[in-house]
Amino acid sequence: MFHISLSMFSHTRALENKIDLFHDKLLDAAMTFKKAVRVYLEEKRSDDFRKLSKQIKQIEHDADNLRRDIENNLYSQNLIPDLRADVLQLVENLDKVINKFDEVTYQIYAEQPDIPSEYHSRITELCGLSAECAENMAKASRAFFRDHSSVRDYSQKVYFIEHESDLCSRKLTETIFDSSLPLANKIQLGGFVTDIADIADTAEDFIDELLIFTIKQDI
Amino acid sequence: MDLTFFFYLSSGLFLGWSLGASDASNIFGTAVGTKMVKFRTAALTASLFIILGAVLAGAGTSATLSQLGSVNTLPGAFMVALAAALTIYWMVELSMPISTSQAIVGAIVGWNFFAAKHTDITILSKIVSTWFLCPVLSGTVAVALYWLLKKTFHKSHLHLLRQDTYTRIGLIMSGAFCAYALGANNIANVMGVFVASSPLKPLSLANGFELSAAQVLFLIGGLSIAVGVLTYSHKVMHTIGNSVMKMSPLMALVVVLAQATVLFLFASRGLQHFLLAHHLPPIPLVPVSSSQAVIGAVMGIGLAKGGRSLNWRLIGQIFVGWFTTPAIAALVCYISLFFLQNVFGLEVYR
Repeated sequence: MFHISLSMFSHTRALENKIDLFHDKLLDAAMTFKKAVRVYLEEKRSDDFRKLSKQIKQIEHDADNLRRDIENNLYSQNLIPDLRADVLQLVENLDKVINKFDEVTYQIYAEQPDIPSEYHSRITELCGLSAECAENMAKASRAFFRDHSSVRDYSQKVYFIEHESDLCSRKLTETIFDSSLPLANKIQLGGFVTDIADIADTAEDFIDELLIFTIKQDI
Repeated sequence: MDLTFFFYLSSGLFLGWSLGASDASNIFGTAVGTKMVKFRTAALTASLFIILGAVLAGAGTSATLSQLGSVNTLPGAFMVALAAALTIYWMVELSMPISTSQAIVGAIVGWNFFAAKHTDITILSKIVSTWFLCPVLSGTVAVALYWLLKKTFHKSHLHLLRQDTYTRIGLIMSGAFCAYALGANNIANVMGVFVASSPLKPLSLANGFELSAAQVLFLIGGLSIAVGVLTYSHKVMHTIGNSVMKMSPLMALVVVLAQATVLFLFASRGLQHFLLAHHLPPIPLVPVSSSQAVIGAVMGIGLAKGGRSLNWRLIGQIFVGWFTTPAIAALVCYISLFFLQNVFGLEVYR
């Protein structure tokens, strides 16, 4: 019995660490993304940008491995049977946001868009808002595992920042399409703006689900 | 002692088997159904602790049943237990929430009538009052435990996975406690009527430890309950866990603890002595229904969580059961004793 309890605790602790590490990966991805866009705006496809792009790819790869590990452990050790489906869905959706950071960074790396300097501040602002949304989403998700009362606080922040990011992306899109840039450039930049804003939208969808899971657990 | 003793004991053993098959699911049903605890762990824990409870602490409730009616011949005891078993079977067919305790009490009263023995109304009313007290007390204990555990988990900021581990360990430990309390409380239903007429002798074990004749009888009864748990409770546990009542593991833990507390309160001689020593009103030692304790606990939590409607149909069925189960058991026992005495020429009372 004592042996069984000890082994149960060691398995649990290992998985707790993996879940924490997975959230860390999301925070890393958000911060690296912000930095990568800033570097691209200043230096285009420089060595620094290449490094940051590779770094995000690595974060995404590590997060994928952690996600698989978490999913396998939850099933193979038959943990939290009543909440397992909810937790798996949360982990999958967190991973989607990490993937989006990677996709947008790679798109910038591959397409090397020409971004006129007058849009830099707004694009930096939009990236900052999306990254902040993802950071608060990670904090809310972490709180789901330990402290339900904080889930609401972080969720509220995500809703607010997502709204700000919507306003920012609309203004930016309108400004781009009102400009005298060639249509191809307009479409390319518009696409980037949509993709960056999409990160905040995904975070908002995640929070909607997270709040339902939290309420379900509190009943 | 010859084999006829075991023939007469068979009705009690059958009661024990069916009690094990059905009541083990009240203890480990949700834990096994939700796969928090493996069936093998649950069945072995339940079997071991039911036997321990029956042998070590089963005397209190059996004494109360003996005060109600001391069935003093083996054929009489056989028929009392069989009448209770037949009543339970019939009530199950009618999908009524049955209680072995109520059936056996009715059958003993039936024997009292047939043997023209006096039925102590004070004892009877004491027993009947516990039928009402059992679900109410269980519900109250469950509400208190539910809020306590919920608040503790909430304030401790424990990781969900750690909570899960604690709940899992809690389910096994509270299941063991509940199985002990079930054995102590319900062995009277299975073997109580055989105590007065049993030809069994005390049994000496190693280290000078000795089992009294009644404890040997309770050991046999405990084994029959354990066989019921090991052979037939698997299906019932999965039904309880998956379809009848959907409960979270935390809620299951609370329900098992509330059930264990109530069964223990109505079976503990030590607690009774303690209360008497401190001039407090003692809790009667009476076999109570573990199923009704579970229903009381689930309803209590439901109400505490703001459930707007009680399941009045189920409450009505339990209420009707308090009267119909003993009445039917008494009638079946009376008629069967008549046949046993006049057709088979057996001595059913002295």
